[in-house]
Amino acid sequence: MRDRLPEFRERGAELVIVGNGNATFAAAFREDFSLDGPLLVDPELRAYRAAGLRRGRVELLSPRVPWNALRALARGNRQTGVQGDPWQLGGVFVIRPGGALTYRFMSREAGDHAPLDEVLAALEPDAPEMEETEAPSPLARLAGRALSLVLDPTIVASFDRTGYRVHSLAFDPRDLEVDLGDRRCLVTGANAGLGFETALALADLGAQVVLVCRNRLRGEDARDRIALQTGSRRVEVCELDVSDLAAIRATAPKLADGPVDVLVHNAGALDSERAETAEGLERTLATHVVGPHLLTRLLRPALERSQDGRVVWVSSGGMYTRKLQLDDPSWTRRDFDGVAAYAEAKRAQVVLAGLWAEALRDTNVVVNAMHPGWADTQGVRDALPRFHALTRAILRTPAEGADTIVWLAASPAAAEHTGRFFLDRTPRSTHLLPFTRERDAERRELWRRVEAWSGGEAP
Amino acid sequence: MRTATRLAGIELSSWDGTRVALGDTWRERPVVLVFIRHFG
Repeated sequence: MRDRLPEFRERGAELVIVGNGNATFAAAFREDFSLDGPLLVDPELRAYRAAGLRRGRVELLSPRVPWNALRALARGNRQTGVQGDPWQLGGVFVIRPGGALTYRFMSREAGDHAPLDEVLAALEPDAPEMEETEAPSPLARLAGRALSLVLDPTIVASFDRTGYRVHSLAFDPRDLEVDLGDRRCLVTGANAGLGFETALALADLGAQVVLVCRNRLRGEDARDRIALQTGSRRVEVCELDVSDLAAIRATAPKLADGPVDVLVHNAGALDSERAETAEGLERTLATHVVGPHLLTRLLRPALERSQDGRVVWVSSGGMYTRKLQLDDPSWTRRDFDGVAAYAEAKRAQVVLAGLWAEALRDTNVVVNAMHPGWADTQGVRDALPRFHALTRAILRTPAEGADTIVWLAASPAAAEHTGRFFLDRTPRSTHLLPFTRERDAERRELWRRVEAWSGGEAP
Repeated sequence: MRTATRLAGIELSSWDGTRVALGDTWRERPVVLVFIRHFG
């Protein structure tokens, strides 16, 4: 590869090498091979993993490995001591400004190399961008479904990262093979965690994305990171605290100034002390329920103008522990318990999503709720440090947690559903415990209350 | 998600200790990004 460096540079490209050892070895390697270009080290294999490169013992024990080593030796490339992770396999990618991938080679066994002529062809100005989705494997889907039957009743092995891995076997990668170039998506709480990952994925699919954030600076930082990662310049920031009803009323016209195809209610917070908004609402209730309800109401005309409107409520698995609370929803008569308040608000979101789905039944807008499973986000670290410490090893990545949000917002397959509650792209029951069931009259009462509260009536 | 998007936000150390965001390496020109199995 190094010998062809002048040919890469003739075509205006740079060779960047990533190795999995440490910097000392990298420096020696650089000297041994007289490299003058960038040489990076990735001892934690983060980039290897993100690139989808294999790491397998089986592959390394393939009978062709000694043969490849002999072949390399015959050419004068003696393999010396192994350094770094010996099981990690390599690969070659050609990426153009803006992020288009024109070549991909993923090593299947030690000693196989990318054909250089193919790499050079990928540097030609007319080299086509590669298709990045893989065909689904029917066998994997079947295995995923079978394993889910066994694991889902355990809850832990469904909500944790094992659950994601098993459930995702049944995903159809073509579901997200979509161009969102003509879609405008609003994501609340988009500067970190699941909201950030959602906004990133939607921008990656070409959407115009509005990051609705409480803090403008953090929003702008997120916008810049998304722009860097996706090359998209179609990401903007709108400062808004969704617990502040007056601010929602003042800001909604700006958000509705343009099409609204997707609205993701993701912003959330878990308070340890009871706090009230200017309208006298307990803040957890205002942030997750009343504010998002008002925002949906104000954006409803814009959503209804969309050919394919989507509203996604990001709830939480914690909602399974609580019943819809109508006696004291604002925590004025009970000792405040932040975790319980959060779970009650998340339960109310699921009920409200169902009610919105009914209200918009005869329109082009579908409304669904989901829960992300247990994901390792800053929000969880800050709000539930003990839970985080206990479960850290089994938590999903934020991107895994956000997958179903993106699927509900973007996939044509998801447009067939409305009023449902999802985990890992599959509708789930909204109750796991018998005492959490609400009556239809209670559901109606919730609607009446949120309408009154978002209209300014005190609880 | 595109490979480039997944990789772009990852920051790695260069052999000389400086930090490099992978996304910066293809910001101006195409890049041949080679992941090697190991050094040596």
